[in-house]
Amino acid sequence: MDPVVRVFVGGVDTARRIGAFTLISLGVLATKFGKSPRVIRPLVQQQILRAGVNVLPIVCFLGIALGVVIVGQTVLLLMQVGQEKLMGPLLVTVVVRELAPLTAALVVLARVGTAAVTELGTLRAVGEVEALEALGIDPIHYLVVPRLIGFTVSIVCLTVYMILFALVAGYVVAFLQGLSMGPAAFFRVIADGLSWVDFPLLALKTVAFGILTSQIICYHGLAEPLRLEDLGRATTRTVAHTLVASLLVDAVFLPVYLLI
Amino acid sequence: MADPVIQMTDVTVVHSRAPGVPLVTGVDWRVEEGECWVVTGLQGSGKTALIETAAGLHPYPVGEVQVFGQRVHGTEGEGVEEVRKRVGVVFDGHGRLFGSQTVLENVALPLCYHRNHALEEVADEVMGLLKVLGLEALAGQAAGRLGRAWAHRVALARALVQRPGLLLVDNPLTGMDPYHARWWRGFLGRLMVGHPDLGGTPMTLVLATDDPRGLLGLGRKFAVTHAGRWRCMGDRQEFERCEDPELRELLHDED
Repeated sequence: MDPVVRVFVGGVDTARRIGAFTLISLGVLATKFGKSPRVIRPLVQQQILRAGVNVLPIVCFLGIALGVVIVGQTVLLLMQVGQEKLMGPLLVTVVVRELAPLTAALVVLARVGTAAVTELGTLRAVGEVEALEALGIDPIHYLVVPRLIGFTVSIVCLTVYMILFALVAGYVVAFLQGLSMGPAAFFRVIADGLSWVDFPLLALKTVAFGILTSQIICYHGLAEPLRLEDLGRATTRTVAHTLVASLLVDAVFLPVYLLI
Repeated sequence: MADPVIQMTDVTVVHSRAPGVPLVTGVDWRVEEGECWVVTGLQGSGKTALIETAAGLHPYPVGEVQVFGQRVHGTEGEGVEEVRKRVGVVFDGHGRLFGSQTVLENVALPLCYHRNHALEEVADEVMGLLKVLGLEALAGQAAGRLGRAWAHRVALARALVQRPGLLLVDNPLTGMDPYHARWWRGFLGRLMVGHPDLGGTPMTLVLATDDPRGLLGLGRKFAVTHAGRWRCMGDRQEFERCEDPELRELLHDED
């Protein structure tokens, strides 16, 4: 078989498996939503702490860096060419719709996701997953659902923080370089660039990133029988698959944004 | 007439990590309530896979497995989950404990999960069980730091915490020092007739071992997995009288 065709067929097969795994996880989430909340809730909180609260400092740093590098420069360039009216739509498109959700998802993947694959893969390799099953505990409910909820909530919240930090830092940089606009006026311009559809779409996109990231991580950690020596490869595959999947999801939203 | 505890009909047991590799074929096995079976065979002959298949943890390509009258096929579902609550499994080695949790958390987990309780609410009950097994001093220790003998005993506590009707134990005496081996034989013997501190109900036991000599006094029925085949050997006398040279090697280690 042609190598390109082989890679394509392999990619489609992997996507199909991850899709099936995701449907099973969502099914378990729906059917066992109220089961054992006193055991599952602390696990969800633990995941939010790991993937959300502990990641917040680096997201703040990246948000500020994004603001300084992109927002500040964009605002000044637009002022130089007399196109301040484009400031709102441009920043909304670049920061709110594209960069912030994608960066938040990738930071969670890099900071927590790789460790989670190793953690889950080790549980699978040493047989602790079978031990859960033997105790009548559904491993999807105990191991995957907390990560599904925790990662999704974390990515949604981190995206909001990243947008806020990027815009504030960008305004400060532009102001220091001579922007003759008060903060209220600046944020009014941004608000004018937003459409009401942006809010549900941003929520949808970040939720999709959260589900996708958590499910690719859990799939590679749990779904296939693993030996300890396979963990490195599983982690590499997780990173590659999440990157590709995130960009594909991003592309799916593109036509919707173009229609707004 | 009550359903047998385990009923296997012409089952092919496969390798857990390679479902296409058959380990034992043609398993016809009926375990009645209150029996104590010793399943023996050389290492790698499929005893662990057989135990895990009986516990409903593995799918199998051929045959049918029923546990407490419910068909199990390594699949999820309410029925299977209920069966699993009635079956205690003690895995080989360190018992597949959750290494990052304490002994108390390990043993309490099934109770917390199935009853929706916080750890504090079941702590007294679990400590009572740990005391029966001589583990109360280890309650706060991380399970991952325990030695093999103690970890295996904690795994037994975890398997017993839901008061199962059937207990499957993989290699209970392997690697045990004489003190622990004696403790295991004594405790399993008490479980078989009904441990007074655990409700007093006789428990059905299936013990898998690659060295049956330490369990000859305990087992009431014996079976062997050898060269991909399954053989029920009957009681101790029949097992020890067997003339098959390959099976004799399991009972004698002289050169």
